[in-house]
Amino acid sequence: MTALLQVEDLHVWFDLQDGGELHAVQGVSVGVERGERLGLVGESGCGKTTTVLALMGLLPPSASASGRVLLEGTDVLAGGEASMRPHRWSDVAIVFQGAMNALNPVRTIGSQIVEAIELHGEAGGKAARAQTGELLESVGIPAARASRFPHELSGGMRQRAAIAMALSCHPKVLIADEPTTALDVMVQAQILELLDSLCRDFGLALILVTHDLPVVAQLCDHGAVMYAGEIVERGLVDTLYHAPRHPYTRLLFAATPDLGHETEEIVSIPGAPPRLDQPLVGCPFRPRCDSAFEPCATSRPLLRRVADRHAAACHLNDRPSQAPG
Amino acid sequence: MRGADYVVKRTAFALVTIFVAVSINFVLFRLAPGSAVSNLSRVPHATQELRQALKRQFGLDKSRGRQYLIYLEQLTRGNLGVSFENEQPVSTNLKTAILNTLPMVALGTLFAIVVGTLTGVIAAWRRGTPIEGATVTTALGFYSMPTHWLGLMLVILFTGILPTGGMTNDFLINPSFWTHARDVLSHMVLPSLTLGLVLFGEYTLIVRSAMLETLGEDYILTARAKGLRPWAIIRKHALRNAMLPIVTLVALSLGYIVAGAILIETVFSWPGVGRAVYDAVLNRDYPMLQGAFLFLTISVVFFNLVADLLYYKLDPRIT
Repeated sequence: MTALLQVEDLHVWFDLQDGGELHAVQGVSVGVERGERLGLVGESGCGKTTTVLALMGLLPPSASASGRVLLEGTDVLAGGEASMRPHRWSDVAIVFQGAMNALNPVRTIGSQIVEAIELHGEAGGKAARAQTGELLESVGIPAARASRFPHELSGGMRQRAAIAMALSCHPKVLIADEPTTALDVMVQAQILELLDSLCRDFGLALILVTHDLPVVAQLCDHGAVMYAGEIVERGLVDTLYHAPRHPYTRLLFAATPDLGHETEEIVSIPGAPPRLDQPLVGCPFRPRCDSAFEPCATSRPLLRRVADRHAAACHLNDRPSQAPG
Repeated sequence: MRGADYVVKRTAFALVTIFVAVSINFVLFRLAPGSAVSNLSRVPHATQELRQALKRQFGLDKSRGRQYLIYLEQLTRGNLGVSFENEQPVSTNLKTAILNTLPMVALGTLFAIVVGTLTGVIAAWRRGTPIEGATVTTALGFYSMPTHWLGLMLVILFTGILPTGGMTNDFLINPSFWTHARDVLSHMVLPSLTLGLVLFGEYTLIVRSAMLETLGEDYILTARAKGLRPWAIIRKHALRNAMLPIVTLVALSLGYIVAGAILIETVFSWPGVGRAVYDAVLNRDYPMLQGAFLFLTISVVFFNLVADLLYYKLDPRIT
């Protein structure tokens, strides 16, 4: 069976002002099946948002990409804008981070949802408006609010409206890019719950992009950890938490503040990610790694299967006696 | 209700602004060195009696406060005084001048708005391409040209092809309406083009930067993700947001242009408001100048009000 959405060997480069190039995404392969929920985790600038923008063909003109994006087996990126456009929203929809500006401030939320429905020929006129009302109700917004402008809604409401808009054309895959950033904890919990129930009801595949590990643990069954433009570990969320096979994953989980232990100091990973405008030699994580050894300085570890449904890119896995974690 | 409240508030503000400007206008001319009388009585054998008579005739023997009240009262009746130059009521002179200026300025501005918006949008959409480079360079070139120099260059370029001065051909006797209209229009081309080109440069740069800012917004990315085509994104999402700063700047510049295309009207001998101001200064025609200033004030305030109301219409966030 072909995967619902499969990204293969995705590379993204950004042209820099000084003529150089920034290799933002370095060979990412990732996929989701129907109903599967994948959490794409990593710190700021690791390329997770760039990855999802690339797979929808939404990169800015200063970026170039290579690789394949297979939607039910068809490469949708190969034909450029024209081949991607019909799939946007009707197959893959996205909820952007910061609901503040994801909605056009001078148009009512209703008209922005109707626009998507009509564009993809789901329905027109009255039927589209009725459908919009139902969508809003399904995310917990009274249908009458369709005539409101984004600034008249609270942050949480705006994010709900953005989710309703994402669902308007019955996509198969929903991408949520930091959907709860800039929302307070209570609203955050509500939004996550909403995403959870919507994915279940509509049988959506979800790709959740976040730096927030607890959110992934709560919502996703699979996780992919990104570092310096590549995936360093991939597996079930439980496995990643309990038996990580890459030191970065282990340190990332260790750095998550735990409300249960108030006295505990906040742990961080010292150092900063490598610069991506220069070629990387060896393991990108080596300077910050607490268990680096000889081969790490010279040879770059590849993402390899370490167990059933579990892969990691770390030289330690080649020495069975000293498995990390 | 949100709408009515806003309109009333803005209109009241505009009226107060005009009143204040009118008052300052009055004071300004009283503070100018010399008096109208000393200028008029500069004739051989002018006697003290003549000066007194002139003072009485112009009401200058009354106190300043009294003069101010009379001025305001006459203003409400549309009396702007009498021109020293041709002894016609200022309001009549001004009306002729305004009616001459408006079509010329309107044509130039329309050209600038249409072409400037179009090129500005294209420059922003094609950012980083030679198209943008060429557009920005052209716009900057026209924007930085001195208006009168550009006018003179056009005169040199089009001499013999288009009329380069005045508003009508004096040798047309009793022309039919259409002949007259065509005559005026052909005279209008060069002054309008001069104004249009300079404004085009300015508008292109404004529209481009406003568009660039808007195109970087998240909702544009959302629109692309929804599968909208480029022109639909510009039309339905970008333009209206980009219009906000553009409307303000265009309206502001309009206020000044209508009353003050002085350089262009002088270069092309166009008998409009700008030319009237220029002549009034040369001839020390105080009432005419005061009337022209009043018109300038009103047009600037009026277009400000228009900008405010348009802004309100375009941006639902304004209350």
